[in-house]
Amino acid sequence: MKLALRHVFVVIVCAFALFPIVFVVSAAINPLGTLASSELLPTGASLGNLVELLTSDSYPFARWFFNSVFIALVSSFASLLLSMFAAYAFSRMRFTGRRVGLMALLLIQMFPQFLAIVTIFMIFTEVTELYPAFGFDTVWGLLLLYLGGALGVNTWLMKGFLDTVPKELDEAATVDGATHAQIFWRVIMPLVTPILAVTAMLAFIGIMSEFLMANVFLRDPESKTLAVGMYGMIAGDHRNANFGMFAAATLITAVPTVGVFLWLQKYIVSGLTSGAVKG
Amino acid sequence: MRLRALGVAALATLAFAATACGESPPSAPAAPSASAASSAPAAGGGTLVIWADPSRVTPLKPFADQFGAENGVTVEVKEISKDNQQTFLTASQQGSGPDIMIGAHDWIGNLVQNGAIDPVTLTEEQKAAFSAKAIQAVTFNGQIYGAPYAVENIALIRNTELAPEAPATIEELIETGKKLKADGKVDEVLCLPVGQKGDAFHVYPIFASGGGALFGATATGDPDPKQVLLGSPGSVKAFGKLKELGEKGEGALRTSLTNENYIVTFAGGKCAYLVSGPWAMSEIKKAGVAYDITAVPGFEGGEPATPFVGVQSFFVASKGKSKALAQEFVANYVTNKDVAKALYEADPRPPALTAALQEVQATDPDAVKFMEAGRDGMPMPAIPEMAAIWEPFGIAENAVVKGGDAAKAAGAAQQAIDGALKN
Amino acid sequence: MALDVREPADEAAGARRPARRETTTAFVVSRIAVLSVAAAILLYAAPPLVATESWIALAVLCAAGAAIAYLYLTRRFVPAKYLVPGTVFLIAFQVVPVVYTVTTAFTNFGDGHRGGKAEAVAAIESGSVRQTPGSPEYTLTAGLRGDQLVFLLTDPRTKQVTLGTADGVEPLAGAQVGVTGKVLRAPGVTVLTAPQAAARGAEISALTVPTPGGAIKANGLSRAVEGRASLVYEAACDCVRGDGGTWTADESQGYFVNDRGEHLAQGWQVNVGLDNFARVLTNPTIYGYFTGVLGWNLVFALASVLGTFALGMSVALALHHPRMRATRVYRIALILPYAMPSFAMLLVWRDLFNRDFGLINQLLGVHVDWLGEPATARLGVILVNLWLGFPYMFLVTTGALQAIPRELTEAAAIDGARPWQAFRRVTLPLLLVALTPLLISSFAYNFNNFNAIALTTEGGPFPADSPQVGATDLLITYTFRLAFGAGGAQFGFAAAISVFIFTIVAIISAVAFRRTRRQEEVYA
Repeated sequence: MKLALRHVFVVIVCAFALFPIVFVVSAAINPLGTLASSELLPTGASLGNLVELLTSDSYPFARWFFNSVFIALVSSFASLLLSMFAAYAFSRMRFTGRRVGLMALLLIQMFPQFLAIVTIFMIFTEVTELYPAFGFDTVWGLLLLYLGGALGVNTWLMKGFLDTVPKELDEAATVDGATHAQIFWRVIMPLVTPILAVTAMLAFIGIMSEFLMANVFLRDPESKTLAVGMYGMIAGDHRNANFGMFAAATLITAVPTVGVFLWLQKYIVSGLTSGAVKG
Repeated sequence: MRLRALGVAALATLAFAATACGESPPSAPAAPSASAASSAPAAGGGTLVIWADPSRVTPLKPFADQFGAENGVTVEVKEISKDNQQTFLTASQQGSGPDIMIGAHDWIGNLVQNGAIDPVTLTEEQKAAFSAKAIQAVTFNGQIYGAPYAVENIALIRNTELAPEAPATIEELIETGKKLKADGKVDEVLCLPVGQKGDAFHVYPIFASGGGALFGATATGDPDPKQVLLGSPGSVKAFGKLKELGEKGEGALRTSLTNENYIVTFAGGKCAYLVSGPWAMSEIKKAGVAYDITAVPGFEGGEPATPFVGVQSFFVASKGKSKALAQEFVANYVTNKDVAKALYEADPRPPALTAALQEVQATDPDAVKFMEAGRDGMPMPAIPEMAAIWEPFGIAENAVVKGGDAAKAAGAAQQAIDGALKN
Repeated sequence: MALDVREPADEAAGARRPARRETTTAFVVSRIAVLSVAAAILLYAAPPLVATESWIALAVLCAAGAAIAYLYLTRRFVPAKYLVPGTVFLIAFQVVPVVYTVTTAFTNFGDGHRGGKAEAVAAIESGSVRQTPGSPEYTLTAGLRGDQLVFLLTDPRTKQVTLGTADGVEPLAGAQVGVTGKVLRAPGVTVLTAPQAAARGAEISALTVPTPGGAIKANGLSRAVEGRASLVYEAACDCVRGDGGTWTADESQGYFVNDRGEHLAQGWQVNVGLDNFARVLTNPTIYGYFTGVLGWNLVFALASVLGTFALGMSVALALHHPRMRATRVYRIALILPYAMPSFAMLLVWRDLFNRDFGLINQLLGVHVDWLGEPATARLGVILVNLWLGFPYMFLVTTGALQAIPRELTEAAAIDGARPWQAFRRVTLPLLLVALTPLLISSFAYNFNNFNAIALTTEGGPFPADSPQVGATDLLITYTFRLAFGAGGAQFGFAAAISVFIFTIVAIISAVAFRRTRRQEEVYA
């Protein structure tokens, strides 16, 4: 394909991607920030919404931001490891129950999460009484809960990727006398950096926007995550009044995600894959 | 590296925060059932936990702290953003719920059938201090189940520059609105949200004026879930009236006016009449529109246009861990005028306490005007069966506004509701 | 925990290359670390269980601890070593909730039937307590006589103080009453201050002072009222009497029912066997629309998966070129839709589609009621879902493309294959190996994509003559409307519905999954 054509195509898709976001930007800098506006261009430009957001008493936005980034980083790192282990086993080893296990992982995801809230309350009511450090209103409890979803979401993704890594590589290493742990850490992991980066990115975004569980888990205004706090901003009748602030918050939410992406991008695009074939 | 340092700092901070609220000494032996969860050590021991929606946490906080100081307990105000009623029910059932819940009075039926709240005993004197509507709303099966603090209903808000006179009837409103539209002064005849699924709450006064009804009444005058009247001849007639006001008729009701845009359209001066509640006022004031508030008018020669009245209330959770404190807080503390006023200032909805309303009146005449507009209002039915009404009603409304057949829409709604309620 | 278990393995890998099957320092160190982590968890978790005498939980904990320690000490069960860390969390927070949810499908669990019968009886009795007519509204002061909690009850009109105990009321002379009616001093009784009373809140709520007309109970900490429960449960007849009626327990419904068939509001959870499943099958509003909704649901899920995949892959391929410039900027723009909170963006999209105020109609210069007509509404939700989902596919394909050695495509080019052929024969098959599992799970996800519909069209537009089923309703949105729409949440019914939907998705996914076996064997 000609380079110019590629650019044209990508620009069109970018326009599609950015179109609603421009609308959000417009609302964020519009002094009368409201959700409903038939104009793409704001009637005026000011940073009033942003200032109001950052100085608001009722919305400790900086705190939410910090909570979200912290939870998302820790949780995506931990779940990355867990799902990578599982994917390695599913891709490289043959054992009874392998396909059943994979299928089960998929099916468990099918159950509507909001039905599970009842059970989450059952479990964590006990946990809160026994181990308050991991109970309701704690970040650690929420992290544990997120780890429960680690396998389901990412194992399939990573397993698919691992299947493309030639098996000759591990076989060669096995002949050299490497243990499974060594193969995992020294052969497989370096090969799959792009996949790890992509999965980490997806896990990070997933946790950043997770909302259902965080809402029942974190009830102190100070302990909320961005998604929960922001939902509260437009919940009920306040949707219109706060939309300018909300739009500004939406834009800021994207900042850590873009930051993580910039950081991981080099691993995603320049993986060590050319070495893979030679190895 | 800097990132890592930041991460370590973050980890340390959070670990500290988690242990600070986690590793509290066990509660005083005197109260074996007292909350073990995150109870910061308090002077007398004991914790009172309140759940509220995001807009009420901040105004409540000072009063909660004051109550805590007076009684030597810790009061925690927690914030729930979504599905408050269901979250409360589930949490309560499992033993993780609050001692006090804040919500609308129309939850009462469902909360009671789940055994989630206790009646609140108010003295005669206390009852007399509230508006009669508010007390009527929180009364269910002859018992008072909550302490009301704010009363809200919708009214007609009009742009006095565009429409100086309050319309006496809907016909008059439409006439003025259409004339303004023809003159190019406004884009919309009436700003009333309909949306793709209808909006029973906002259209109800007009529906009622057209002769429509939701439920029949029991012997005691409460709404009777066994008699759904949405398909009755009166309601069919009312849906017919809505159709006349709709897109194929006068063009006053339009599905493209939604909850997201109806207030801002009015605030932008593109519409002379708005049907909305106290929550619209901050935006209207921000936009600087000259306005007045009157009752939603009825049809000429029609029934009265009664709006729904909603009453925000404090509930005492049956399965709370500090029930005596909760009763004390709800029955004897928040029924106080200053609390009502503070909540009003944080979120201007007319206070349910008559004395607080009068004080507020001096600085904000809107509160009383809203109250006036809701004088004949009907407290939203608190029976659990009301939940089955909203959606079929809204869909029928949407259908007739688009120009669908009124009898067909009403009949289908009636059938859907009867099916759901197994009548 | 998983993290700690793994670190020693890292050390093992980092150590000098050990000979096979020999006990090395790293091996010993890693095993010691495993044991100490297991011991630390046991030490943390066990004491509260001992304190609350939860012996079964303790036994499970110890067994699990021992099993995990054994697993990592032995050289056998290699796959399990990798699967256990994630599986532990999976079982605790996903499998248990699912299993529990399925079991509720056999009950009437839901609003009105959340708790047990005893809770319902307690709620009925306490909800029926009415103040004795004409009785005073006492000002309450809690006190201690010896170590027994007593009430000092001040009649607000007469300022007379009565002593209330669990045995009844007795007059009390010589008490000193303050302005508010609170007792300041009373002979033989230590008056409790407000904080002291608050600390004994549970006891104060529990104290019942019997009177001829009923009983006096505290109402908060500063007031007490005399009342009587107008409804009382009698175990002998398993019924509730009072208010001029008798309501007998009906264990098949979980309600107290009178002879006119009316029931008391508060019910309890009972087993209803297969009733919920039967309701799904026999409810005319479900089976009557089932085929139509399933058809659209399949279209929606397939269009979502294929659309997002096609678009995501296309841009990933377009950017995957050594001489492509500004890729960094493009990539950021492309992942932005995914980085925004989706609930907010769904609302924005709904607004963009508005007929009279929406930007789309304005830009296109048309007057289409996008979400108001069945065909355009369906197109609209697919478009919105495409917008939300393609960045995901873009990211994943970008990652997968890196794993395809450029030598292969270059080799194809040298062989004279045109770019399209190279893509068809080399790139796409390799991509599909990596992504087929993902496409299957994406299909399963979109099949049940509740939010994409609930936050945009809410299932609508609805035909005027059948308000239950809208044009964009998925199985999950319309059945859940039935389960949660009428008179509160019916969790049992919703669980039964979930089981049905689950079965459908499981069958489709299993068929698709079988087809991946061949692929796996070729490349794995």
